[in-house]
Amino acid sequence: MKKSIRNFRTQPAIKSPQLILGIILTGLVLAITLVSFFWTPWDPIAIDVEKRLLTPSFSHWFGTDRLGRDLLSQIMVGSQNTLYVTLVSTLIGVVLGTSLGLAAAGSGPRWGGILTRISDIGIAIPSILIALVLATTLGPGRLSVIIAISFWFVPVTARVVVGPARQILSLDFVEAAMTHGRTRMYIVFRQVLPNIAPIVIVQTSMMFAAGILIEASLSFLGVGAQPPTTSWGKILMDSQPLVQEAPYYTLLPGSFVVITVLAFNLLGDGLAVLLDPQQSQKGVA
Amino acid sequence: MGAFVFRVFYRSLALMIASAFAGSVVIFLLLRMVGGDIATIMLGTKATPESLALLREAFGLNRSWLEQYLSWIGGVLRGDLGEAYTGQYVIGTEIAQRLEPTLILTFGSLLISIPIALMVGVYSAINFKRWRGASVDVLAQVGLAIPQFFLALVFVIVFAVRLGWLPATGYVSVSIDPLVAFQSMVLPIATLSLGITAVFTRFVRTSMIEQMNEDYMRTAKAKGHTVRSAAIVHGLRNSAIPITTTGVLQIGALMAGSVVVENVFGIPGIGRLLLTSVMTREAITVQSLALVILLIILAMNLLIDLLYGFLDPRIRHKEGRK
Repeated sequence: MKKSIRNFRTQPAIKSPQLILGIILTGLVLAITLVSFFWTPWDPIAIDVEKRLLTPSFSHWFGTDRLGRDLLSQIMVGSQNTLYVTLVSTLIGVVLGTSLGLAAAGSGPRWGGILTRISDIGIAIPSILIALVLATTLGPGRLSVIIAISFWFVPVTARVVVGPARQILSLDFVEAAMTHGRTRMYIVFRQVLPNIAPIVIVQTSMMFAAGILIEASLSFLGVGAQPPTTSWGKILMDSQPLVQEAPYYTLLPGSFVVITVLAFNLLGDGLAVLLDPQQSQKGVA
Repeated sequence: MGAFVFRVFYRSLALMIASAFAGSVVIFLLLRMVGGDIATIMLGTKATPESLALLREAFGLNRSWLEQYLSWIGGVLRGDLGEAYTGQYVIGTEIAQRLEPTLILTFGSLLISIPIALMVGVYSAINFKRWRGASVDVLAQVGLAIPQFFLALVFVIVFAVRLGWLPATGYVSVSIDPLVAFQSMVLPIATLSLGITAVFTRFVRTSMIEQMNEDYMRTAKAKGHTVRSAAIVHGLRNSAIPITTTGVLQIGALMAGSVVVENVFGIPGIGRLLLTSVMTREAITVQSLALVILLIILAMNLLIDLLYGFLDPRIRHKEGRK
């Protein structure tokens, strides 16, 4: 097992096809979303009932939807809402969840225990349930979805962070820093945080994938994006009654969701191998 | 053994009750703190002051929050959840009727996914370095990425529309016609199972690969076990705990999934009632339904807590001595 430090860091990355595939697919999805802000093959909202439910062809690569709108253009624009909602909820989840996890690790066992219990309850309540309760009062839409997804991401992140943070707090350098007069919270945020950054990065990527799934499901149920905003789940909701006549109308947008979720999951898995080689090499006999 | 079971049971039960109360407060407050007045939400902004006053009177919404909360919880404990605003049904009986399809769906999925995940996960852990082991991981990864509603639609396209083998929607109670009930539940259960099977398989695989490197595995092989029999006899037992822990997280996902699946397949379960009530702004029904779903999740967690003790003698003995 003698390897130079350089090898140790880079080898798993080169060996890991999932990371490469993850980066390529994620890049592709982000590129499509960025392009959609400037250009789509057709006007995504131009209704033309004469061209209703055209199967994929050279002029309409993905065919047209129930109102004759170009499906590819719809999917491209729909990615904006899906990624926006997921990005905001993931950011809230990561920032609040990491702070909460670090605070739980840094404070005494009593408060730490209570925070862990609360996050356990939070994890047990699915986002979709919270979103449905919120949609009753706030009304269906982006805001309910963002709050609901964050509501779940915060305890999930806290729970992932708290264990490793505690482990690092028990190391000798923490005691050394204390004798230098640093406060516990200073140590937690300035010295423990950088050490658990890899875990947070991997978690961010995984939650991004989960967020896309939840957003799409909620939009599909009619609780997420509301017209005129479109979203992948919304397109699929519209396609459901036509599943018999026009299967491509369901299969093409659905495949986009699958590829995007797969991309972020692969990225997360690959990053886990890259950033924490010890953990991932444990599996190799 | 007996003392242990009771101790764990009481502690888990106490924790479950505490969680249920915490959850009920969250649900209650979520419905009142955001979005404004419940009566206006239920009737819409165009409602007349008289009809609003009438509704508040009927549901006791003019009382203080504490009184409202206490009377709601009191009702829950007595099993009386009141009537829906539209007056067409009594909430409690409606929920009870809809429990059957939801429980068949969720438990059916668990019963199918756990054995499959165990077999496939162990198989891929034994063949860890070969491509057949790795390909299981790739398949699980794809399974994780498919949204349930999309999988449901794909199943409908393939098995209901193209092949015509199974009905696309609808549900018949088992007590009326078991065969039709079975047919109508095949696609929903298959849909709900796939994602969960993928998650479980990945966890079985990871935790089994870890066990395969332990020293006791070498000993087992020295005793004459083959890799496969050592994995099944010794490895599986040792990785039972981490697998059960992740199982807890999947219960929430299972209930959330049943909301989606019931709505795609038109199954008259709790999830479908929840969505209809949300869309018609039946805040009072939503409040009770959300609590019922939470209670199901917590009850399943309790079962898993008890399972821990049976699976791991270390926990059992530690608890027993206290």
